Amino acid sequence: MQPILEVKNLTVKFEEGSRKELTAVKDVSFCLYPNETLGIVGESGSGKSTVARAVTRLLQSSEGNIFLDGREITRLKGKALRDIYRKIQMVFQSPAASFDPRRTLGDGVGESMRNRGVERNTRKETVKKLMESCGLSEEFAGRYPHEVSGGQCQRAAIARALAAGPDILICDEATSALDVTVQAQVMELLEELKRRHRMSFLFISHDLALVQSFCDRVLVMKDGSVVEEGTPDQVIAHPKAAYTKELVEAVL
Amino acid sequence: MTGKRYGRERKRDRVRIRLWIFGILAAALVLAAFFSRQLCPFDPDAQNLSMALEPPGFPHLLGTDRFGRDMLSRIIAGARVSVFSALALVAVITATGTVLGVICGYFGGLADAVMMRISDICLAFPGLVAAMGIAAVLGGGIQNAVIALAVVSWPKYARLARSQTLAVREEPYVAAARLAGGRPGQILIRHVLPNIAGSILVTALLDIGTMMMETAALSFLGLGAQPPTAEWGSMMSDGRSMLQTYPWVVLTPGGAIFLSVAIFNLLGDTLRDYLDPRRLWKKEERI
Repeated sequence: MQPILEVKNLTVKFEEGSRKELTAVKDVSFCLYPNETLGIVGESGSGKSTVARAVTRLLQSSEGNIFLDGREITRLKGKALRDIYRKIQMVFQSPAASFDPRRTLGDGVGESMRNRGVERNTRKETVKKLMESCGLSEEFAGRYPHEVSGGQCQRAAIARALAAGPDILICDEATSALDVTVQAQVMELLEELKRRHRMSFLFISHDLALVQSFCDRVLVMKDGSVVEEGTPDQVIAHPKAAYTKELVEAVL
Repeated sequence: MTGKRYGRERKRDRVRIRLWIFGILAAALVLAAFFSRQLCPFDPDAQNLSMALEPPGFPHLLGTDRFGRDMLSRIIAGARVSVFSALALVAVITATGTVLGVICGYFGGLADAVMMRISDICLAFPGLVAAMGIAAVLGGGIQNAVIALAVVSWPKYARLARSQTLAVREEPYVAAARLAGGRPGQILIRHVLPNIAGSILVTALLDIGTMMMETAALSFLGLGAQPPTAEWGSMMSDGRSMLQTYPWVVLTPGGAIFLSVAIFNLLGDTLRDYLDPRRLWKKEERI
């Protein structure tokens, strides 16, 4: 089967000062298949989020190639780059900060449609439907990000991602800023999406339990490299790499 | 906890009242400048040597200058020149500086580096001195004074807009806007500009006073408004030798400058408190 997203030897370097360089992601390769949920776990600073930002082209990668549906997107620009966001979308870690403080949630959810030139009334209807499907009533479309809770904001963020009609949804620590009960509700919503839409997920988290219950396959990252790959049960119950053992023991 | 909250609310109410008061005063000043022709009790340029250097009284409420021109009328007429040139100046430098700064900050790269070096060059000269030089080269007249001041003042706004843009650019909501397929121009107009507008507006309001003073300073030095145009700076310059003998000739335009600069500065200050309530709370904690 052809992977929907393929990352080959991805390396991301940051310049630190004039001479120093920091390599956040080193030679990472992985594939994401249609309808699959791939988890990436690792401690803070292990480069998980950098992978997500490089794959969505929010960051320019230093080396390596990224293929979306068999087409290389590593160096796309302008309209070609904007077009990939109809296939790949992301839910950010910080719910409130990912919405413009001066615009309503409804504006945020409808923005991708507005950019595509969808007519105002159709847009309003679709936004309403999308928000309802994510468990938010109509009135939330008119609220500002500071007027709603983190969980509600994250639901709106998921609705916003769905508005583009993506094939791949990247969740970058999408639930880690939420408290446990709200986290469970948002996970339920994501489970439901997985069942309802035929979508692939790239699920980035530091929470092993969440990854175990949600993902089909998991990558373990440390210091910018992938140290282990396998099904969650394999990786968590029988970790091979020394670091994975440490990580599992730290939780149990 | 509730008591403290209550205190904050009250403080916010007070800021709102101050905002209204200074807003109305500033609006009155602008209106007076706009309708100066209708408000003048006498023709500001009509000379009457038999009435020269009359002290304040009736019918010349603020006295007359050495050509017998009514001071009150000249101050009202001068408001038009002073207020409108300051407003035009601030509008021009805010618009240019913000546009350049936002573009440089968002895109970075070579254009940014070049623009910032140019602004370094502009900032390297002491503002008013450089403006004097430019005004002297361009020749007298209020437009040339405004142009000279604009040339030396825009970098401040470019730098402010650039640094604010650099901060906003890293916000997740800008990343989200890119993921929504927004073109850079759309993102700048929809998300970046509205989120940096507050601090730029406050700086601009605070600068109206400064710019009024600087245009007056250029006119005082003979590089701005030319006689017989009534302008506060040149009126003060006109009467400076008579400060001890006929003080109203200098003090009345000076008072006009002082009052209008104070009104615009206080308005800017209050607006800053209003837009950034955190500042208010910090002040409260310090007390």
